[in-house]
Amino acid sequence: MLGLDQFIAELNKSISMFLPETALVIAFLVALLLDLMFKKSKNLTGYTALIGFLVTGYFLFKQMNMQSTAFSNMFVIDQFGIFMKWVILLSSIGVVLISFFTNELYEKAKGVGEYFTLIIGMAFGMFLLVGSSNLIIIYLAIETMSLSSYVLAGYTKEVKRASEASLKYVIFGAVSSGIMIYGISILFGLTGSLNLFEINRFLAANPVNNFALFLSVIMILSGFGYKISAVPFHFWTPDVYEGAPVPITAYLSVASKAAGFAILLRFFKVTFLDSVPGNDSVWTLLGSIDWHFVIAILAVLSMTLGNLVALWQTNVKRILAYSSIAHAGYMLMAVSTMDDAGVASVLIYFFMYMVMNLGAFYVVALIANNIGSEEIDDYNGLGYRAPILGICMTLFLISLTGLPPTAGFIGKLYVFSAVVKAGYIWLAVVGVINSVISLFYYVKIFRNMYLNDVDSNKSKLTYSPASIVLLFVFAIPTLYLGIFFNDIVKWASYSANIFMGK
Amino acid sequence: MQESVPLNYYLILSAIFFVMGAVGVLTRRNAIIIFMSIEMMLNAVNLTFVSFSSYNSDPAGQMFVFFVMAVAAAEAAIGLAIVLALYRNQQTVYVDKVNLMKW
Amino acid sequence: MLSDFGVILLFFIIGFIFVGVGLVAAAFIRPSHPNPIKNSTYECGEIPIGGPWIRFNIRFYVIALVFLLFDVEVVFLLPWALVFKQLGWFAFIEMIVFVVILVMGLAYVWGKGDIDWEKPKPYIPSIDDLVVGKKK
Repeated sequence: MLGLDQFIAELNKSISMFLPETALVIAFLVALLLDLMFKKSKNLTGYTALIGFLVTGYFLFKQMNMQSTAFSNMFVIDQFGIFMKWVILLSSIGVVLISFFTNELYEKAKGVGEYFTLIIGMAFGMFLLVGSSNLIIIYLAIETMSLSSYVLAGYTKEVKRASEASLKYVIFGAVSSGIMIYGISILFGLTGSLNLFEINRFLAANPVNNFALFLSVIMILSGFGYKISAVPFHFWTPDVYEGAPVPITAYLSVASKAAGFAILLRFFKVTFLDSVPGNDSVWTLLGSIDWHFVIAILAVLSMTLGNLVALWQTNVKRILAYSSIAHAGYMLMAVSTMDDAGVASVLIYFFMYMVMNLGAFYVVALIANNIGSEEIDDYNGLGYRAPILGICMTLFLISLTGLPPTAGFIGKLYVFSAVVKAGYIWLAVVGVINSVISLFYYVKIFRNMYLNDVDSNKSKLTYSPASIVLLFVFAIPTLYLGIFFNDIVKWASYSANIFMGK
Repeated sequence: MQESVPLNYYLILSAIFFVMGAVGVLTRRNAIIIFMSIEMMLNAVNLTFVSFSSYNSDPAGQMFVFFVMAVAAAEAAIGLAIVLALYRNQQTVYVDKVNLMKW
Repeated sequence: MLSDFGVILLFFIIGFIFVGVGLVAAAFIRPSHPNPIKNSTYECGEIPIGGPWIRFNIRFYVIALVFLLFDVEVVFLLPWALVFKQLGWFAFIEMIVFVVILVMGLAYVWGKGDIDWEKPKPYIPSIDDLVVGKKK
């Protein structure tokens, strides 16, 4: 037991390592107050959110090479977490910017003050989740991000689909988090601790009932799987993605998924791997349960179901929803290898996925601003009515399929090579077949934009120059990272280092 | 030595509660009752935590229960607010009538 | 020595006795002269209108939600109060921060007017209502 002075010293040290999250909390409170005081101003909380994110970025940058724990082992700062936090932070900034150009938000809801405030809250939850190494914090962080996202999904109250999406989201979310904490409670009973490092030590030293352990981890996995929309837990995804406002859909598909993957990786690595010093690149599993296989099965299910069902969809947001399920499958494939190359490839994939997916959703938002629809039939001839949007959308779709010379290709390349290197050839084959299937529905959007209704004399789409600048912010990296990817790969391999406790 | 209630009994009781909650979620159609069932699942979890906590004499489990209670309240508040928004839009709280989006 | 099961059994027995004795004793002591006026819901003379199963006004419910949220937070004050003496000022400041954040939430709800009791606007009849056949 620590003495009081030591305790306070430890807390002070912890708070100094908790600065990015503290910045987010303060930004949240400031946004709340500003929203209260200046009710008339339109985007004030949005700008507050941007400033808050920039300050957070500054503190995050100062933490770049830190590796430590805070709040008596409840919270971890390591390179892996910091990479994921950058992904979350950048996509949060992207989403706030996209929101400025989404008319739906301004027309169908009562003001956007709370909207941006909740985005900060959600970002805070995700930051917490990425760094947590205690089951209480994991639960609280998941709930923080979920509670904000439930409201955000139904933010456009006047849209019937939004409230329906929100209801489905909250019911599935509450049930899966309920199942997750039941799993946590069993794990707590088995190992007598809520701290992941201690659980690892206990499992390494004492044999436990394999069936109970398996059951509890499957239950915990349902909470994580829900966040990353892996297949048995994916039912909410298409409905919520279709009903929610476009920026929120983009946010859920990138940042929320990144946080889910981060905690999935951290949980599995810290809890179930033998911490043999010196043998970091290949992880040896504790106990007799083959987690590789369990996760590989989830990956195959996610990829296959996501891609096959996407073929029948007629709504672009829904297609992208199923495609995001499939992408979760590709990334799970890399998770199932459970070695450092796999983790690095997940990180690389996420960086690429963030750019291209935000871009694709942004194009959907811009088109919806003009034609007020996301149905694929309404996209006919859009390639000619809005040439810039058409070209960029094509680029994002190529990237999502994973064809060179785009960012998506690099992401997939590293994922597949990690899987093959780990010896899961069959898994890689399934992945490649799935990529081919995915080509069909991405091409469907392209075909409607360029080959259908070619000589329509409908009016051209209008969009502001600023919105085009933002579009290039997503489009240029998609192309650039497809060719000059060395820095990202280096950074990701450096970051594939998950802190394992002392 | 005092004969105390074995841990298993608590666990079985809470498992029964949990399954009752889960069945309620799956079978009931009224959104409000679904939320009540979810509450029941959460309370089953609380029971497990408290019994493990007293069995291992580790207060961490009881702390977890505090957090679960607080979060459950927030979740119920948000869930019910969403049901309210849905009712204003679609005039129903029955989840099988809420089906603008399928597959 | 009682086992834990015995304690629970004793608890049940005492519970039943407590309620049972009360009911039985009351049945013997109280005078019984039923008549229609005594059997009505409000003996003071208020005549109930409509069934008891009406929907509550939605505004009760918003206030109840806000109450629920802030009420549950009190649970965190409990463990804090237990260790307060050992931790002293530090814990005090920490709890102040916690409460200030909660107060900001309350201020937000208040400022947004979500706990104002909005009275429905009374309908003031105009002369048009009396004109037969005119559409409102």
